[in-house]
Amino acid sequence: MAPSELSRRGLLRLSALLGGSAALAACGGPSISESGGAAQSDIDWSGVQPASQITWWSNHPGTSIEMEKEYIRRFQEQNPGITVNLVTAGKNYDEVAQRFQAAAGTDNTPDLVGASDVWWFRYMINGQIIPLDGLAQHLQIDIADYNPIFYEDYAFDGRHWALPYARSTPLFYYNRGVWQQAGLPDRAPETWDEFERWAPALAQVVGGSPLGLGTGTSWAAWWFCNFMWGRGGAYSQEWTLTLDGQETLDAGEYVRALVHDKQFAAPSQGGDDGYVADFSAGVTACTMASTGSLRGILEQAQFEVGTGFLPKGPAGPGCPTGGTGVAIASSKTPEQQLAAGMFLKFLTEPEQTAHFSAGTGYMPVRTSAVDSPDMQAVFAETPQARTAVDQLATTRVQDWVRTFVPSGDQYLTTAIQKIVLQNEGAASAFAAAATEITTSYEQNVARYI
Amino acid sequence: MATATSPPDTPVRRAGSHRAPRSRPRARRRGALRNWLLFAVLAGPNIALLVVFTYRPLLQSFYLSTLQWNLGSPTAIPVGLANYADFFADPGTPRMLAITVVFTLATVGGGMVLGLALAVVLNRKLRFRGAARTIVVAPYVLSGVAVGLLWLFVFDPNFGVLSAVLRVVGFGSPDWYTDPGWALAMVIIVYLWKNVGYVALIYLAGLQAVPRDLLEAASLDGATPFRTFVSVVLPLLGPTTFFLSITTLLTSLQSFDIIRAMTDGGPLEGTTTMMYSIYLEGFAGGRAGYSSRSPRSCSWCSS
Amino acid sequence: MCERGRRPAVGGYATMIIAVAVMVLPLVWMVLASFKDMDELYRLPIQWLPESLAPANYGTATQTVPFGSFFVNSAIATVLGAGLKMTLGLMTAYALVFVDIPFRRFFFYVVVCALLVPQQIVLIPNYALAAELGWLNTYQGLIVPGLASAFGTFLFRQHFLTLPRSILEAAEIDGAGHWRRLWRFVVPLSGPTIAAVGLVSIVTEWNDYLWPLLVIDRPEMMTLPVGLTLLMNFDGVPNWGVIMAGTVLVTVPVLAVFFLLQRRIVAGLVTGAVTG
Repeated sequence: MAPSELSRRGLLRLSALLGGSAALAACGGPSISESGGAAQSDIDWSGVQPASQITWWSNHPGTSIEMEKEYIRRFQEQNPGITVNLVTAGKNYDEVAQRFQAAAGTDNTPDLVGASDVWWFRYMINGQIIPLDGLAQHLQIDIADYNPIFYEDYAFDGRHWALPYARSTPLFYYNRGVWQQAGLPDRAPETWDEFERWAPALAQVVGGSPLGLGTGTSWAAWWFCNFMWGRGGAYSQEWTLTLDGQETLDAGEYVRALVHDKQFAAPSQGGDDGYVADFSAGVTACTMASTGSLRGILEQAQFEVGTGFLPKGPAGPGCPTGGTGVAIASSKTPEQQLAAGMFLKFLTEPEQTAHFSAGTGYMPVRTSAVDSPDMQAVFAETPQARTAVDQLATTRVQDWVRTFVPSGDQYLTTAIQKIVLQNEGAASAFAAAATEITTSYEQNVARYI
Repeated sequence: MATATSPPDTPVRRAGSHRAPRSRPRARRRGALRNWLLFAVLAGPNIALLVVFTYRPLLQSFYLSTLQWNLGSPTAIPVGLANYADFFADPGTPRMLAITVVFTLATVGGGMVLGLALAVVLNRKLRFRGAARTIVVAPYVLSGVAVGLLWLFVFDPNFGVLSAVLRVVGFGSPDWYTDPGWALAMVIIVYLWKNVGYVALIYLAGLQAVPRDLLEAASLDGATPFRTFVSVVLPLLGPTTFFLSITTLLTSLQSFDIIRAMTDGGPLEGTTTMMYSIYLEGFAGGRAGYSSRSPRSCSWCSS
Repeated sequence: MCERGRRPAVGGYATMIIAVAVMVLPLVWMVLASFKDMDELYRLPIQWLPESLAPANYGTATQTVPFGSFFVNSAIATVLGAGLKMTLGLMTAYALVFVDIPFRRFFFYVVVCALLVPQQIVLIPNYALAAELGWLNTYQGLIVPGLASAFGTFLFRQHFLTLPRSILEAAEIDGAGHWRRLWRFVVPLSGPTIAAVGLVSIVTEWNDYLWPLLVIDRPEMMTLPVGLTLLMNFDGVPNWGVIMAGTVLVTVPVLAVFFLLQRRIVAGLVTGAVTG
């Protein structure tokens, strides 16, 4: 902080204590300006020395707090001059992000912050994080070794704003016992057509709709990508909404029919994580769930669990990725940012990546980590984990309006809930979402880019 | 502990002394001055805290509501009252207001009726009524988050105890988590469970203050117990009812923890009340300017 | 049961038993669930009693998150916060009732209208202020912004208005200053109201969630309700056994305080209600 800034703060502090409210309207709030948007930091890193203290805000995805502490220990061993403070900044990605946004403009920002797929873009347009390309070059981070889908998820305007850390994809989980009873081959259905052929037999075994669907926030609009992309649809092409596109509407109608007409699928009645609990307890025969849920499902299920790719649609496979990356705050000094970059590099090195993946079920974000002994041991022990890695080849970068527009995911989730829970037609459900998304885009995104 | 020091009260004291009445005899004036000082010392810290941590942020929120601002962004555009216009133009607003009204009526009205009924029963000379009273009030002291989590598990349509009980009786479990109407009912039930004991407790106290001879006179006149209750007891409970309607209305309007722990405003925004939407829009959605407008409109309707 | 009332009280007993059952059974279920493992919790048909009473979930809960320090922080914030809040309330109410100045009513409304302002609205500005003051992750940041007493002042004022003036006039003639009058005469006459406000303050501080969630991010400074939500496993099956164990740990202390104070509380909440 510059000295003049300090004295301004001192004044504010004093007037705050005196309770002078008018002068305080600006305190902590925004300044009035048309300008705004991403930070333009292209520092020459060559003369910069790393700071000795940095802070990392994490929600410890996959209950990984002990692992994260271990990586910090390893890092500090290699870099005795740098101390990393790990902060539990929330119980999920949203809480971390909310805290990070509330902290903007205060002294309490971290150096490293969790940046989930639906949040990093907002950090960027608020100017809260720095582009990492120059820093990566300076630190000789092996960009080519990151899984390209994961890495490109953080690209905008030709620059990259975070590195992938705890990344996941949905998988098709099935109950092998039920499959056997229904006389089906021991694999996930290749296509949704095949699933429909299998569904009556499965329904007989479980006595209800065989496929359980989760309808919670940040979940429904995620798996729906599978149906939508599999039919050639999309939420948007860059910023252009395609919610009224025929393929997208077809996908919505297909899911609606699957649930309400054919009754081959049913929304879980049990809360946000209900679809996982239902499947693990044998209530449903199969479900789509995150790779991050694999460990919990295997622990709990009293039957043999099979995993497979998400079924294909008429236009081919469709599989989104999700989870979180880690970004570096723009409000910090170059010294702190450099130290943060060093830790970020270390954190996503193949060794740590493999260890993290083995412990949590998240995907190894480095290509070379897949062949590491750690991962090979995981695959040998739980062959189901291999499925997710193989499926990565079919994944693609998310549609912008879901991940980039504030509350975009929320509006899409509501639309899908209307379709799945209330049998509303896809056209009207998506039209309502389109209106909301357009407003949010105009007010909260357009002027920043 | 360093934190125990009370906040400075100087500014208020000074502000107070300026206001001392002018045109009075000197002695009276000195007495008045002393009273002002005394008032400032006693009430000053509390009022200063209210000004700094309640009224100042309230004004600031009003200011923020005239901006188009993303939480976390260093800059914003002034938009006047456009956020308010958007709020009233939003097709979801009438539904949200309806949900707020239903939630408030059910929790305040339902709470009062149930609480009064409970108080009447516990006011009778029953054995163990002391213990029963204590137990009935106990949920009131529990954390909203803990209560929300606890009931979430009770209501679970597949694995919850409620669905098991309903199954024994031959009913299926309602879709508590996925049907907006049932979800609202669920949140209301939990809210009532937590707060009805408080209402009962206050009513109980009111009932015990009803003079015994009035009741006896009524029963000598041949009035049925129900008539006595309606025409003698209820009017006497007037002040109690007034007090309760104010306090329960305030708690109901501000209820946050239970909704947050149980439904997070869903499904299909079926449990998003006015206050909850402020949190969702401003905090979860990052549209701080837009979210700041609801509180204002709410103050209009509550004042 | 030997009932000696004039009317048969079967209906009364039935209602009482149902009410008590409705209040208690969920709590019993919470305690039972806290002893079950994942497999028992998600078994169909439902498993009523836990297979063992081994406190495995309590072990997991206390290992996953530092419940010990959560407890200490909650206790400090509650004792300091509730204690100071009550003192402020007593002093303000005394001034509002017994100190004769013009515009007393105005100040009373300043205090009472604060009750109308919901916490969500003042959240972001207060967070900004706390950050400016360097109060994040501190006890003062946790306590001070919520310290002002509005509800307590209101209840105390209502009670003080019912106190016989003669006692205070006698004290004044004896030469007792206002400070002495407050602590020696008014406070001893206000036991039940103090207990009631005490309970409400303790309950509010102990259970406060939104503000501590925001102003604290270091685990060593977190309070119990915030820490409790850290047990909600993300991206997986919620382990209700562990969550319920945590809930029990959060719930028991405040229930204990309530059972200790309950007799006085009942009487105290009443004064506000009857004279309000």
